[in-house]
Amino acid sequence: MKPGLALSFGYDDGSLRTFADARLQPDVVLRDIYSLPEIDLNDFSVLFISMHSDQRFLAARASQIENYLIRGGVVVANGHHAYPYLPRMAGFHTIDGYKLSDITVLRLVEHPIWHGIDPHDLTFRRGVSGFYGRVWHDAPPDALVIHALGHPGLPVDFIYPVGDGRVLFHGGNDLWTFGGEDRPLVPRIMQWVASGRNVQ
Amino acid sequence: MSLAILDGGTFYHHAAIHGPRYRALFDKIIYAPELAADALAGVTFLIVPDRINPNILRAKREVLIDFVKAGHTLVVLGENRADTWLPGVIWAARPTNFWWWLDKDARPPNRLLAPDHEFFRAVPFENTIWHFHGVLTPPAGARALIDVPADPEGRDSGGALLYEDRVTLPGRLLVATLDPFYHHGSHFMPAATKLLDGFLPWARQQAAA
Repeated sequence: MKPGLALSFGYDDGSLRTFADARLQPDVVLRDIYSLPEIDLNDFSVLFISMHSDQRFLAARASQIENYLIRGGVVVANGHHAYPYLPRMAGFHTIDGYKLSDITVLRLVEHPIWHGIDPHDLTFRRGVSGFYGRVWHDAPPDALVIHALGHPGLPVDFIYPVGDGRVLFHGGNDLWTFGGEDRPLVPRIMQWVASGRNVQ
Repeated sequence: MSLAILDGGTFYHHAAIHGPRYRALFDKIIYAPELAADALAGVTFLIVPDRINPNILRAKREVLIDFVKAGHTLVVLGENRADTWLPGVIWAARPTNFWWWLDKDARPPNRLLAPDHEFFRAVPFENTIWHFHGVLTPPAGARALIDVPADPEGRDSGGALLYEDRVTLPGRLLVATLDPFYHHGSHFMPAATKLLDGFLPWARQQAAA
């Protein structure tokens, strides 16, 4: 399998170190986001987009991202979709004055990336809620919605097809910061990419 | 005589800067990769919010420094690696303790050093207290406004979380490690919103003064 690509954003952030620490085979290469125009995405099996990414810039590169997906690429995107950089995505919805019951992570279907991880451990980090997600997004109608927030109709994690490729969208803090040391998500995401199974 | 802010293009910059709560306070919003000297014509107070890509800031350093050389005020918030592009800034990373407040008896290490400073008439000290990202060593002649003591695990000897520097350049620098735009724009920390509720109207007032 080709290596993965994660777009960095100029300062050291613990979440990006996750990729190097995971000692993956193939590995995940870090490149500054603004070098995207010089990168041939087809050299990479998966594109990781952090919540700290300049989405206005990504929206200017939307056709590069869409063409990569159409040819079979995989995009793992995090944060709130504030600029139109991903095909088939609509906006997000804030939950004003949210309570715990509004941001409790609900598992709608089992998925290998999150296998064996209790949704409770996604809702809470050291007893504090909110890291995993605080807004919900409209998922495309053919998306596989894995997790919702507070109500099954309010998606936070979903996978949807674009051409021969697929987008794994997580509408919260970077997905690879969850799972803990015993169940790190990055190797699982790479395995899921390698398995190449359709949509799921 | 106007207030400008850089926009890093992230979702939280979008929410905090273009959202209805503060949008009317900014006279100019400048997308950071497009910053140029002529974009700053008439600007007297410029905010570099937390978490602008430092590669951009380093590329634009001369524009930013010239702005302060002209006698204006530049505010630089956290996670911008200002130590790599702004004169006088010395910063040491310290692993962030996000959890200091979970123990109900815990006291934050933050210390208010300059209660008389006008900043704190706009922003109550308690609204500046959350986890922090490293510590700053202000240059000689600058004034630390908030600091923390030495790291209990000995990784640094303490330093400022906010300082005011009127000596390094002809204008004024306010440098902080705090990251309120990220937290407010992520809908994730009420103290960050309270800080901006005080700071941004004050910045607008300062820009017009």
